[in-house]
Amino acid sequence: MTQRYHNPFSNARLVYPIDQGDYYNRFAKNQSSLRVDESPFPRMIDFWWAGLLLAARNELKPVDLNEHRTRYFATGSILDSDPWRIQYLRLIALQFKGEPESLTNHAAIIALANGLAAAGVPCVVEMLTGGDEPPIWNLSNAVERLLAE
Amino acid sequence: MAVKILRARFQNFRLLRDVEIDFSTDADKPLTVIRAENESGKTTLLVGLQWGLYGEDALPGGRDRDFRLHPINWEASAGQPSISVEIDLELSSFHKTRQGKILNRPEVFRVSRMARETLTAGKWRRDATSLTLHRRASHGWERELFPQRILDEHLSLDLREVFFTDGDDVLRFIESTDASSRRGRVENAIRSLLALDTIEAALSHIKTTSRKANAAAKNIGANESIEEVATELDQVESEIEQHESIIDDAAAELSVLDVKLAEINAEISKALMKGDKADLERRRARNDAASNEANKDKKTAEEAHSELFRSMEFSRDITAAPLQKAMDMLADLRSKEQFPKASIPLLQDVLQARVCFCGEAVHDADASSEHRRRRIQDLIENSRKADELQSVLTEVYFATNALSEISSAGASTWSEQFEAVAKRRDDLEERIDELGKEASDLDAQIRQLGDVDITLLQDSQREFAAMRDSKRDARVRSETMRANLLDQSESLKRRRDRLLREQTKGANILANLNVAQDVKDVLDRAYSRMTHEELNKVSNLMNGYFLEMIGSDPEQSSIIRRAAISERFDILVYGTDDRELNPDRDINGASRRALTLAFIMALTKVSEVAAPNIIDTPLGMMSGYVKRAVLKTLARESSQPILFLTRSEIAECEDIIDETAGRVITLTNTAHYPLMLEFPPAAAPSQVVRCDCDHHADCRICRRRAYEPIVANYI
Repeated sequence: MTQRYHNPFSNARLVYPIDQGDYYNRFAKNQSSLRVDESPFPRMIDFWWAGLLLAARNELKPVDLNEHRTRYFATGSILDSDPWRIQYLRLIALQFKGEPESLTNHAAIIALANGLAAAGVPCVVEMLTGGDEPPIWNLSNAVERLLAE
Repeated sequence: MAVKILRARFQNFRLLRDVEIDFSTDADKPLTVIRAENESGKTTLLVGLQWGLYGEDALPGGRDRDFRLHPINWEASAGQPSISVEIDLELSSFHKTRQGKILNRPEVFRVSRMARETLTAGKWRRDATSLTLHRRASHGWERELFPQRILDEHLSLDLREVFFTDGDDVLRFIESTDASSRRGRVENAIRSLLALDTIEAALSHIKTTSRKANAAAKNIGANESIEEVATELDQVESEIEQHESIIDDAAAELSVLDVKLAEINAEISKALMKGDKADLERRRARNDAASNEANKDKKTAEEAHSELFRSMEFSRDITAAPLQKAMDMLADLRSKEQFPKASIPLLQDVLQARVCFCGEAVHDADASSEHRRRRIQDLIENSRKADELQSVLTEVYFATNALSEISSAGASTWSEQFEAVAKRRDDLEERIDELGKEASDLDAQIRQLGDVDITLLQDSQREFAAMRDSKRDARVRSETMRANLLDQSESLKRRRDRLLREQTKGANILANLNVAQDVKDVLDRAYSRMTHEELNKVSNLMNGYFLEMIGSDPEQSSIIRRAAISERFDILVYGTDDRELNPDRDINGASRRALTLAFIMALTKVSEVAAPNIIDTPLGMMSGYVKRAVLKTLARESSQPILFLTRSEIAECEDIIDETAGRVITLTNTAHYPLMLEFPPAAAPSQVVRCDCDHHADCRICRRRAYEPIVANYI
């Protein structure tokens, strides 16, 4: 089937700071042996994306990944599995840069996204672990509270 | 027939080293009370009396079991123990005079049973036992040559359980794991006391006599036709006997089959009450399947929960507010139509044609033309960038609009989706929990059922029912045959009698046959009366005594309406709505004792056998009015009640004993000093001694310590 959209980020490298590696391994269900309740995110990209969203919501300053050792975990082609995220990335970039022209600089958008995800992941981890229940319920409850604000 | 125990003396019989007891013979106060605490020789006395009267068969465990008779602390230096029990009895037989007057002829007998036991190296053996019986005559004691026969006549072994009753074993007539043995005990007691066996023997004898007379008629031979008729009659009678035998056998087998069927039915009911194992296993399998299904659903729900954090709604709802600025910017650009628009193909046409829209030349040679050409190329480049940006912005704008439209179209929010998933997960957790509990319950029920296989039991039930039906058919066939044969027999007898009448020689035979027939009719009627009317009498009397005994117990009298003995010799208890109660489970211990005592009293009463009722701890487990009612009934209805009572049984009943007891004595075990007895015994330790203290008195032999000081020590 012909692709009805163009993914300008398909060759981009999605990364996270190495010191967040444990979180990615723990909270993304990378192996079938992990339990959903303990590892609520289906994939690493979803955990990365949640960090990005939280950073956008809290208007956090992106982490400058040039100052961190990073681990590459996927190319931008993974966004093909949820194509709406491509435009969403641009919208977030527009919010942060404030200039429409910035949307054509794909590398800058990906750099911004990696930095924002790194900034937001600690918030996600706090939500996952901030409660007495298994992480999926802690996170769900925290998101509910967040949305009710 | 009447039996009365006058006196008993025990020497070296277990705890009873040398004890003599005399019993009440006062007709107005027939009760004898032997007051004794636990371990003070009550049961030994009961066993000793039975051994004296019945011999080895009456010992616990019967003839085959080793039951030591000598005292346990017998010292070998004292020689071999010689054990003896001597009992004085008054045995009455009744004589009907020619004038029809009934005369009572009481005679006193002395029963002496002795045994010697040899002790060697910690072991013992009983060497020999002997029985002698003396009749008291005017000039002294005369020895009887056949002592056992006289005793058997008056004290049938089958009646031992009626005359001698151990309180701890008092329930044997109504309590037993084996229905047939319980029924057998009741039946034996009833048959013996009502003399059913004697009548059956007489019936058998009269049939033989009748057949002999018929044979005599056959042998007359004077008239050919008499011989023929007699021969035919003989064959018919023989066939009748064969069929009667078949009918009797069938009745016996049917009785066994009925018992067996009742037991299987009870087992099936019991098992079904617990549950049908096959059905439980089917339910367990269904539970397993449902559990697997629920666990699959749970996994799906967990995945759905996880997918919530990947969904567009998650992104949209989390970032709705902060991204509004970007969305507004896009909307603004859109409204101002500032999404760059250009016509790159048009400009490319200008360059190719080398002529601008304004008509000026556009080519390299000319400087101004060069300027225009560069300007057009810049325009093309900028347009390309602008177009790309426009394309991106358009895509983002429409994507954003799509998000807004989804929001405004009332699509579910992340929170709503989460609520649905959470509810689904909670419901599934609850369902799995319920299924787990159900599985545990079912497992427990299956475990409880053990290996009871209802299907197998039902197969046995069908098999036994089929055997019973077949046996019933056989009995009915034989009964029909017998009826026909009896008709034939009657007809043949009439013919034979007519022929015999024709002969003088046959007249005597005919008379004999007539007498035999009359006697048979009388015995038949007596047997029928015994088995129906007398049994009913026992049943009704037992019911009367029983209700009187438990009448003052509000708890039991509200449950129990009546008691009865069935034709199959079961003692039954009925509650409200005439519902049958299980004496083992539905009535309390005191009532069970009362029921058994009521049966014993009723049976003795109906049989008109005046005999002692020697009962060990009859009032155990009883209290208050029930205890008093039982004691009153026993004292009133038994011709010679001999009761072994502890002090706690006597408590609250002293006035009744005052009124009804002609003799009260106390037995004490010297081994109870100093723990329970106040004074040191004069006799050697570990033996039972007797004193004449009644239920109000104490002496240096029997005074017991009060318990208070012991309690005080603990305080």
